[in-house]
Amino acid sequence: MPGWSKTGFPVQSLLGFVLVGLLLLTVGVAQFWTPYGPLAIDLNAPLAPPSWRHWFGTDEFGRDVLSRAMAGARISVGIGCATVSCAITAGALLGTLAGFLRGWTDRVLMTINDALLAFPGMLLALGFIAVFAGGEGAIVLALSVAYLPSVVRVVRSVVLSIREREYVEASRVMGNSSAYSMLRHVVPNALPQVAVLATNLFGWVVLSESALSFLGVGIPAPAPSWGNMLAAARPYLASAAWLTIAPGACVMATLLGVNWLSDTLLERLRPGSRS
Amino acid sequence: MLGKALNKTPREILAVVLLALATSGVAAAPSVLRARLNSDILSSEPGVLRDENTDAVLLHVVEGLVAYREDATVGPLLAQRWEASVDGRVYTFYLRPGVRFHNGAPLTASEVVWSFRRYLDPATHWRCLREFDGGGLARILSVEAVDSLTVRVTLDRAAPLLVQTLARADCGETAIVHPSSVAPDGRWRAPIGTGPFQFSTWKRNQFVELTRFAGYSALPGPRDGNTGGKHADVDVIRFLVIPDGATAEAALLRGDVEILDGLLPLQMSELRGEADIRMDVHPAMDCYALLLQTRDPVLHDPRLRRAIALTLDVPALVKNITLGTGEPNASLVPTASPYHASPVQSHIPAPDLAQARRLAAAAGYRGEPIHLITNHRYPAMFAAAVLIQAMALEAGIHFEIQTLDWATELDRYNHGDYQAMAFGYSTRLDPALTFDAVIGDKDRDPRKIWEDPRARDLLLQVKSTADGDSRQMQFDRLQRLFVNDAPAVILFNSARIVALRKNVVGFSGWSAAQLRLWGVRLQ
Amino acid sequence: MNRAARMGRYLGRRALLAVPTLLLVAVFVFGLIRMLPGDPAQIMLGDVADPTSLAAMRHYLGLDRPLPLQFLTWLGHAAKADLGRSIATGEPVATLILERFAVTASIVLSAVFIATLLAVVGGLLAAWRQSRPIDALIVGLASLGLATPSFWLGLMLLLIFGVHLRWLPVVGYVPLRESFAVGLSYLVLPVATLVIVESGTLIRTLRAGAIEVLGREYIMHARAKGVPERQVLYRHVLPNAFAPTLTLVGLTLGHLLGGAAVIETVFNLPGLGRLIVDSVLARDYPVVQGCLLFTATVYVAVNLVTDLLYPLFDPRVTAT
Repeated sequence: MPGWSKTGFPVQSLLGFVLVGLLLLTVGVAQFWTPYGPLAIDLNAPLAPPSWRHWFGTDEFGRDVLSRAMAGARISVGIGCATVSCAITAGALLGTLAGFLRGWTDRVLMTINDALLAFPGMLLALGFIAVFAGGEGAIVLALSVAYLPSVVRVVRSVVLSIREREYVEASRVMGNSSAYSMLRHVVPNALPQVAVLATNLFGWVVLSESALSFLGVGIPAPAPSWGNMLAAARPYLASAAWLTIAPGACVMATLLGVNWLSDTLLERLRPGSRS
Repeated sequence: MLGKALNKTPREILAVVLLALATSGVAAAPSVLRARLNSDILSSEPGVLRDENTDAVLLHVVEGLVAYREDATVGPLLAQRWEASVDGRVYTFYLRPGVRFHNGAPLTASEVVWSFRRYLDPATHWRCLREFDGGGLARILSVEAVDSLTVRVTLDRAAPLLVQTLARADCGETAIVHPSSVAPDGRWRAPIGTGPFQFSTWKRNQFVELTRFAGYSALPGPRDGNTGGKHADVDVIRFLVIPDGATAEAALLRGDVEILDGLLPLQMSELRGEADIRMDVHPAMDCYALLLQTRDPVLHDPRLRRAIALTLDVPALVKNITLGTGEPNASLVPTASPYHASPVQSHIPAPDLAQARRLAAAAGYRGEPIHLITNHRYPAMFAAAVLIQAMALEAGIHFEIQTLDWATELDRYNHGDYQAMAFGYSTRLDPALTFDAVIGDKDRDPRKIWEDPRARDLLLQVKSTADGDSRQMQFDRLQRLFVNDAPAVILFNSARIVALRKNVVGFSGWSAAQLRLWGVRLQ
Repeated sequence: MNRAARMGRYLGRRALLAVPTLLLVAVFVFGLIRMLPGDPAQIMLGDVADPTSLAAMRHYLGLDRPLPLQFLTWLGHAAKADLGRSIATGEPVATLILERFAVTASIVLSAVFIATLLAVVGGLLAAWRQSRPIDALIVGLASLGLATPSFWLGLMLLLIFGVHLRWLPVVGYVPLRESFAVGLSYLVLPVATLVIVESGTLIRTLRAGAIEVLGREYIMHARAKGVPERQVLYRHVLPNAFAPTLTLVGLTLGHLLGGAAVIETVFNLPGLGRLIVDSVLARDYPVVQGCLLFTATVYVAVNLVTDLLYPLFDPRVTAT
C-alpha cells in the first residue's frame, strides 16, 4: 500500500511524530541555549539574508532570526498548550453538564455561553492586557475565554448525540446513576471528537495569537513570538522574505505535525474504525 | 457660404465639426490626481475636529488671513498686509481685493468678522480658542469691520506671536469661510472657502474629492508654503482612504493612486528601485525623544538621566531607525528650523560608556529595571525603544520594554504615569510651540516633562518677542539648560517621505510636512 | 400538539432567551471598553492636548457624565434601534454597521458556503476511501490550509495575483450592486484566502464524523442489502455525519460574521471586523458598543438556525 513505511505507520504519522518531536526538542533546548541572544542587536548586520553565521538571517535590528524563532517556539507553543488545557478542561466540563443534564442548567449555561461567544478575542485580549499589565498570562486568559464557548458548544452537541444511544439508555434502565452512565459511556465516546477539537483548537490558538500580534495586541515585543515576528516582518515581505518565511514555516510545521499526530491518535482511539 | 469660402463641401464641414467636437470631448476629460490618506478626515470643518490629514485636505479648500511661508515665517494670504498698533494690542488687517468664495460671493470684512466671531464662540469648539480667551496668548476683545476691506482685532494685551498662532494648521489657519457653510440652525454643512479647490464629495472612509475652483485668485509668485502661487493645475483631487501601508504601496505600483504621503523609511527603500516611482524627501519639524520622568524615584537624579543620554550612539540609532532619512538632533529646535544654526543647537554629544557608568553610580543607581513604554503604531518609537534598551545595557542600565497600544500610551503620557517613554511630537513650525508643550508645572499639568522654573521664565521671554536674534539667544539658553537637566533625550527629526508616480509633475514637500497638491499636474 | 405550533413556541422561547444574552453582552462590552485606559478625547487631541481642551472635548463627547447614566442612556436608545453616533466621524452607528456588515457578509457567506461544499465533497471522499492516497491527499491539503496563517496567505496571494500578475485589483472595494463583475473581482482574493483557511477544519471534521458513521452497523447492513454505494453515502452517511460539522459551520459563520478583521485589514476592505478593531484602538465607544451588540444578535440568530437544523441531521435529538 503506498505511503506505508516498514514500521506499519503511514508516512503522515511518521512525519507528525518527527515534527512534534523536533518542536518539543526545540522548546526544551531554547530554555537553556540559543545560537545568539533573542534580544541581542547588531547594528552592523541588519536584514542579513540567511548565511552560515545566521541560518535564518537577521531582522531589522540585526537580531538572529533562528534564535528568535526558537525562543518564540517556547512562547507560542506555551500559549497554545496553556490555552487549550484551560479551554478544553473548562469547556468539556460545562459542555458535558449542559448536554447531559439539559433543562435549566443547559439553558442558563448556553445563555452565558452565547454572550461570551459574541466577544471578539481582540477586545478581550486588549482588555486583559491592559488590566493585568501585559504578557503571556493575559493572552492565555483572553484566548481561553474566547474559545471556551466554542468548546462548550461542540462538546455539548457530541454529548447530545451520544446520550441518546441505546447503550446509554440501557445503562440508565439498568439503574445506573446519571453520573455513572455519563462517565462510563458518554465520556469515552466523546473523547475522539474532543481530541480532534483539541488539536483544531491548538491550531486556532496559535493562529489567533499571530492574528492578535498582527493587529497589534498580541505578545508585546521585543519578546519574540511567532505571531509578533510575522507581524514585524510584514513591511519586509518583498525585501527580506526570510523574515516572513521563518516564523510562517514554524507555525505551519507545528500545526501540520500536531494535526498528523492527532490523526494517528484518532485512528488508534476510535473503537471499531476501519484501518 | 462658409463652405464656399473654405472650398469645402457641407459634408466635409460636418466631418470637421464632428471631429472638433469629439476631440474637445476627449480633451475635456477631467484630470484626476489621486492621493492617499492613511485615515479618513475627521470633519470638513477647519480647526474643530481635526488631525493632520484633516488639516492637509481642508487647507486646499479654505484660507486664512495669514499663512506660513516655506521658511516657517508668516506671510499674507487673504490679508495683503497688516499693522500692529504701538502698544501691540490692536491689529489692522487689510484684505486683498477681488477674492471670491466658492459660491461666487466676494470676500469682504463682514465675512471675516463672522468667521472670527464663530471661532471665538465656545459652542464651535475651535481648537485654538484657549489661546484667545485669556488663558493663552491674549484675549480677543473685539473683531470689527472698519470698512469693506479692513478688519480690526483688539486684544487685551500685546501678543507678538498673534499671526504665528492664527496661521497654524491645527487652528485651521483660522480660515475665513462664507456664512452659507453653516445651515440656518447653526449646524456645519460644508466649507465654502476661498481656496484653489472646492469641497465636492466626501464618502466616509472611502474618499474625499475636491474640484478646481475656476474663480481662484492666487497670490503672485512661486509656491511658498501655504501662501503664494496656489494654482490648481488638475481638475479633481481625490484623496483615497487606504489605512494599510502594504495595500497602499501595491496601489501605487498598480497606478491606482499617484501620491503616497507619509511613507516610512522602509517603504521608501522598497519602492526606490521601481521605474515608475520617484521619491520626495524633505526634513520635517517633528521630534522623537526618550522621555524620562523627573519625579520618578529612580530617575529623579539628573545624573542618572545624563548617564542614560551618554549611553546612546544617537547617529547610529537614527541611521538604523530612519534608514538615513532622519537627522540626529539633541535639541527641541528641529534641524530644519532657522533657529537650529547655532553651535549650541547643532551639537550632538558622543557616547561615553565609562562616564555613563560613573554618573549612574554617583546617582545611586543599582541596576534596577526601568520601564520603557513604547507602541507599535509608530514604528520609529518602537525601534527607538529596542535600540535604547540594547545600548543602555552596555553601561549597566536596564530598561524593560512595555509595548502598549497607542491609546494607553497617550493616556499614560497625559498623566505623567511612566518612568521612561519613547515618544514623538507632531510637527510644529515654531520651536516656541514645542517648548510650550513640554515646559510647565507637573502639578497643574502632568503632561509636561520639564519643570525647571528657569526654563519657564525663558519660555515666557521667548514667547513675548518676535525678534529673531533675541529668540535665538533664548533658545540657546534653553538648550543648555535642557542638556544639563535631561528631562528627556531628544533623538532625531524625521523626514517627510512622499512617493510619486513619475507622471506627477510639480510636487514638492516642505518642513510643515503637510501635503500640498496645488501647482501639481499630471503628464 | 402539531409540529408547527411546537416550533413556534420553541422559536418564541429562544427569542426570549436571547434577551438576557444580549443584555449580558451589552454590559460586558460597556464595562470592558471603558476599563481600557485612554479615551477618545485624548486620541483625537493627540500630543497637542492640554487639560482644558481635554475637559472641553470630553464634555462635548458626553464622557463626563456618570457611567451608569451613560449606560442606561445608551441602552434606552439602543432598544429603539438608535445606536448613537460615532465619536470619531459623527456618522450614525447603525448605518455604519449595516454598510460594513454588507461587505463582511458578502465575503463570509460566499467563503463559508464554498468551504462547506468542499467539506462535504472532500470529507466524504476522504472517509469513503480512508487510508488510500486520495484520503492522504485530501487530509494533507486540509491540514495545510488550516495550518496557514490567514494574513500571511492573503499577503502572498495579493503579492502574486495583485502586484506581479496584475490579474486582480489591490485596493478598494466596489459593492456588488454597483457593478457585479468589478465587485466580484475585489472579492476573489479575500474569499479564496478565507476558503483555504477555513475549509481545512471543516473537511477534517466531516471526515472524522463520516468515518465514525461508516463504522456503524446499519451501514454494513445497508451495504449487505445491496444499496448502491452512492445512496449509502448521501442518504445514510452524510446526514448523520454532518451534525457536528453543522455546529462547526455555525460557529465559523457566527465568528466570521463578527468580522474577519485580519482579512479585511490585509485586503483593505471596509468590513465589520476592521471597524471593530479600529474603533477599539480609537476608543470610539458608541461604535464598539453598537458593533458588539449587533454581532451578538447575529450570533444568536445563527445559533438558533443551527439548533433548528440539527434535528434534520440527527433525528434522535429533538430541538427542544
